[in-house]
Amino acid sequence: MNAESRKKALRFLFQKVIDPLGYKFSPDEDLVEFLLDQEVLLEQKHGIPYCPCQGLTKKREENMKIVCPCIPFHREHFDAMRRCWCGLYVHKDVTNPDELRQIPITEIKGS
Amino acid sequence: MNVFMYTLSTCPWCRKAKIFFKSNNIPFDYVDYDLQPEEEQEKIMEKMLKMSSARSFPVVRIGEQIVVGYNPEKYSEILGLKKGVMA
Repeated sequence: MNAESRKKALRFLFQKVIDPLGYKFSPDEDLVEFLLDQEVLLEQKHGIPYCPCQGLTKKREENMKIVCPCIPFHREHFDAMRRCWCGLYVHKDVTNPDELRQIPITEIKGS
Repeated sequence: MNVFMYTLSTCPWCRKAKIFFKSNNIPFDYVDYDLQPEEEQEKIMEKMLKMSSARSFPVVRIGEQIVVGYNPEKYSEILGLKKGVMA
């Protein structure tokens, strides 16, 4: 399967996972395309489409928490930002993703 | 003020952070975590977890202050820029 086809397949699969979680793909289509491109590359390299904005380590159980869509493992954090860390997904009611900022987990837990 | 970043080559927010500092003529250094050898990655991750309790990129150090994530307003505030050029 070429990269473009795999990207379409990931988009289809991810949609089914995020919808019941209350999320949708970001309306920023350029960002979505870029992130899906990166995930296809990460999948080619590691066999799994990991989040392009979080770091892999040697700990498999930790890496499993950043397999896209990683929303269930970071629910409190992402719900507070109304987006996932990389911005691929946003809450369904978000119309302008540019208004949403990355907020570190320490600030959310400390608030 | 010294600016240093841990970034990922796959992360668009890391790219935006680099563009922000370039656009505002602020010199900076960075290390792309994912492009480092495994033993170096381990050392970086240990430092990152101490700084931010997370594996989220970018991690930006401006002087003595740490900012996790792409936050141009915060970068500008720390650097004393009136209104930073946004990426």
